[in-house]
Amino acid sequence: MEKNLTHIALFAALIAVLGLVPKIDLASGVPITAQSLGIMLCGTVLGARNGAAAVLLFLFLTLCGLPLLAGGRGGFGLLASPTIGYLIGFPVAAFVAGAITTHLRANIGLASTIGAFLGGLVLLNGFGVVGMSVMLDKTLPEAALLAAPYMIGDTIKAVLAGLITQTIAAARPAALLSRR
Amino acid sequence: MRDAPGINLINASVTLSGKTILHPLSLTLTEARIGIIGRNGSGKTTLLRLIAGLTPPSTGSVQINGLNPAQDRKALLAQLGILFQNPDHQILFPTVEEELAFGLIQQGHPNPAAAVQTLLAAECRSHWAKAPTHTLSQGQRHYLCLLAVLLMNPGTILLDEPFAGLDLPTKARLTRRLAALPQRLITITHAPAAVALADRVLWLDAGHIRADGPAAATIKAFTAEMARLGEQDADTHLAG
Amino acid sequence: MLTLTSPVETWAHRLPAGAKLGALTATTVLLFALKSPLALAAAATLVAAIIATGGHSFARASLAMLRPLLPFIVIVALWHLITRAPGEGAAIVLRMLAAVAAANFVTMTTRLADMIATLQRAARPLARLGLNPRTFALAIALTIRFIPVMLKRMTTLRHAWRARSPRRPGWRILMPATLAALDDAENTAEALRARGGTG
Repeated sequence: MEKNLTHIALFAALIAVLGLVPKIDLASGVPITAQSLGIMLCGTVLGARNGAAAVLLFLFLTLCGLPLLAGGRGGFGLLASPTIGYLIGFPVAAFVAGAITTHLRANIGLASTIGAFLGGLVLLNGFGVVGMSVMLDKTLPEAALLAAPYMIGDTIKAVLAGLITQTIAAARPAALLSRR
Repeated sequence: MRDAPGINLINASVTLSGKTILHPLSLTLTEARIGIIGRNGSGKTTLLRLIAGLTPPSTGSVQINGLNPAQDRKALLAQLGILFQNPDHQILFPTVEEELAFGLIQQGHPNPAAAVQTLLAAECRSHWAKAPTHTLSQGQRHYLCLLAVLLMNPGTILLDEPFAGLDLPTKARLTRRLAALPQRLITITHAPAAVALADRVLWLDAGHIRADGPAAATIKAFTAEMARLGEQDADTHLAG
Repeated sequence: MLTLTSPVETWAHRLPAGAKLGALTATTVLLFALKSPLALAAAATLVAAIIATGGHSFARASLAMLRPLLPFIVIVALWHLITRAPGEGAAIVLRMLAAVAAANFVTMTTRLADMIATLQRAARPLARLGLNPRTFALAIALTIRFIPVMLKRMTTLRHAWRARSPRRPGWRILMPATLAALDDAENTAEALRARGGTG
């Protein structure tokens, strides 16, 4: 009982911190914010329910007024912004990433990569595109154009999520809640 | 090994979030064994970060043998190594050989794997190569961090509380190992015993240099003050 | 920890959070019901006037919070100039700015603790779905308590990276960060259990 609680709280804190520190480098020297990678990790490391709960807790605190979203953003303004789709998609992405990681009959590296890809890229961008479509009064294909440039970065993040999850599984198998 | 560089602080201060952590300091550090002592919260770690170029000075300048440590990162890494306080906040990689090779790869070393193997063999620890870093004992992790720094062959090593929390045998081994190093060592600590044999000891108090000179004299003054403070009642002042 | 609440005290700071959220909801619904650029311009001006009552520095802070919308404003502006539908474009931009600014006004005039308390109360019906209010409160407290700790650790890890590499930290730095979070979670669970647990 306590373990679920503390994992949820600490990973919510981790997502926050990933938005507060400077960007990290992808292999090519392109800087990215690690926060969305952290959201995928919530799912692949903690599993569907705890992962989604951690993301929801993070969103709750951000909406209450803490500047935890990358770039020092926060507050209720986020719900009126064109990026609202992504915010709604975050916990869903973590849930799906976690569910696939737990239930897919494959090694942890592959399962978590696929989970991160389907949850963190496909689903998350799906929600994001719908959100932008509504808020900016554009058709879905038009909104998809706006999201397109970020897909490459998101794909790389999904691969990294798989790598990180796999390394954690090797280093601390007992700690990986998604595959207990 | 390169020439041990002189470290120059010229009116260097550090102010973070409106708070002055280090008041303007002007120092020239050239001795082989230097100690910087002070209470927790006196600014010692900030001074380490200032010298290492991890925190730029708010005023004044810092020079390591003519280099600006905050800007000339690549050149500086060849001259200055850092041993941080907590190995768990310093070890970045899951296996020993990856952790050791990291600095060499970043330096552009032609054959990091071979260099790591050679070092481990010289330390009679070849069997450590594939070991997961989290399975090492606390003392072994400290040792691993030191080896990683030594592999980069710096002229100066900054050590932040190197003996904190170590059990006695580990402390003895580490002391012996450090004493034998040819590099210049700058040790930052709140425990004077760690720097009793230094050539020069500075006492940092609330961001000011309160004493600076031979080890015995500075340590004596520091210890007397610490005893006096210890006899007073509670530490009620809040920093915030 | 720094919050988005404005240190400048305004009349709105004294209003209860629930009332402000209710007014915000009504305002946002209204904004999305309006279609004409003129009506939206009037609404946006009204929102701006309300924000201006907070004073000069308050208004500037409010403007700064709108900065993340700039790319969207540019995109919409260009789009609608190219498609020769500037009226629609203006409507979209005005609605976006008014809605976000109004929401930010509520955030800036409400203390964190009050907002948390209000939303926690609103979430009480969720107890039926399994969200224990005490556990929720504890989770919030734990997260807030650990953000500064983890931030410090992340900074130290970044320093340790930069102490051996001239480059910015890469993705690998997430390894020790994530492992540390897992270890902290285990240790904190133990500490909780030792103090009576959450059950």
